[in-house]
Amino acid sequence: MANSATLTTDPRAQWGGGKSPFSVSYGKLMMWIFLLSDAFSFSTLLISYGFIRHSFAGVTDNPWPSPDHVFNHFPFLHGMHLPLMFVSLMTFILIASSVTMVLAVEAGHRMAKGEVVKYMIMTIIGGAAFLGCQAWEWTQFIVGSEAGKTLADGTVVHGANLFQNEYGPVAFADLFFIVTGFHGFHVFSGVVINIIILIQTMNGVFEKRGHYEMVEKVGLYWHFVDLVWVFVFTFYYLI
Amino acid sequence: MSAHEATEHLEHTESPSDMKAKIWKTFWILLVLTLVDIGFYFIFSPSIYRNYLFIVLGLVKAYFIVGIFMHMKFERKFLVWMIVLPMSFVIYLITLMVIEGNYTDNARNVEGNQVIHAPAEQHQDGGHGH
Repeated sequence: MANSATLTTDPRAQWGGGKSPFSVSYGKLMMWIFLLSDAFSFSTLLISYGFIRHSFAGVTDNPWPSPDHVFNHFPFLHGMHLPLMFVSLMTFILIASSVTMVLAVEAGHRMAKGEVVKYMIMTIIGGAAFLGCQAWEWTQFIVGSEAGKTLADGTVVHGANLFQNEYGPVAFADLFFIVTGFHGFHVFSGVVINIIILIQTMNGVFEKRGHYEMVEKVGLYWHFVDLVWVFVFTFYYLI
Repeated sequence: MSAHEATEHLEHTESPSDMKAKIWKTFWILLVLTLVDIGFYFIFSPSIYRNYLFIVLGLVKAYFIVGIFMHMKFERKFLVWMIVLPMSFVIYLITLMVIEGNYTDNARNVEGNQVIHAPAEQHQDGGHGH
């Protein structure tokens, strides 16, 4: 018990103070805890979606729409029925940018400044491309089809906003805007933070500091955004 | 035990080619799983079983993103449980909300779909009661 070898193997000694019992830095630990709380926010939004959609299961006069008939457009291929194609492209873009991010983290471990810069730029381009795709997706959804939907009183509704929805219940559009909007805002913040870290990397801030841990922290955030998209993709477009 | 874990942690971060191989392997796994998702979407007609399949595939993808990309697989067990265990509350909320969703669906049908779609008419109906 008394010698130092047993002290290091004793789990109680890890909690005695003076070092992180998680063997991660304070900043990284706080990033994990932030992401946990953020995961709760997104879970709540997606569960609300599930709840409201489930509660419409038996409604027949204005049923919950199938994503097949709402999100079936692709840029430059006007008028073609292509469900899931555009959103799959968005998913690939986000996964690819996640890979370049983790490669930047890996380059940071080796203190390879040039590679960190290269991969960070690729990650930022991926994030920006995703945001562009989402803007296009929203535009399609808001503008709607040319035919629109004729209501009982004769008015024709085109597309969707917070008050009317061509495709089905208004709640469908509301949930689409809040969930993909909240996720899109996360992507946007991620791109902004990535740009800040890229500038700091180029200025040699982390090289002077002796480690690239900031890249790891924004990496955690960026992968989380990708993770959320996996579930948005699953619940909005697949189910 | 903890010393062994610490050296293991170092090994994982400090061999670049090993880590790079792991990253690309994970990328291909995620890509294939997404393609499987798309395949199932077109092969099977919508059903509750197809939905379960999509959720399971989503969880597998989440495992790889959190485990490899976010490096969770190589962190201390205590950190892993600190993040993963609170997420079990989400399962509890899902259970509650599925029950509640069923109830709301029944209530809507009893009211003849009037609750949400035509609040004005419902108000008139209520007026008769008074």
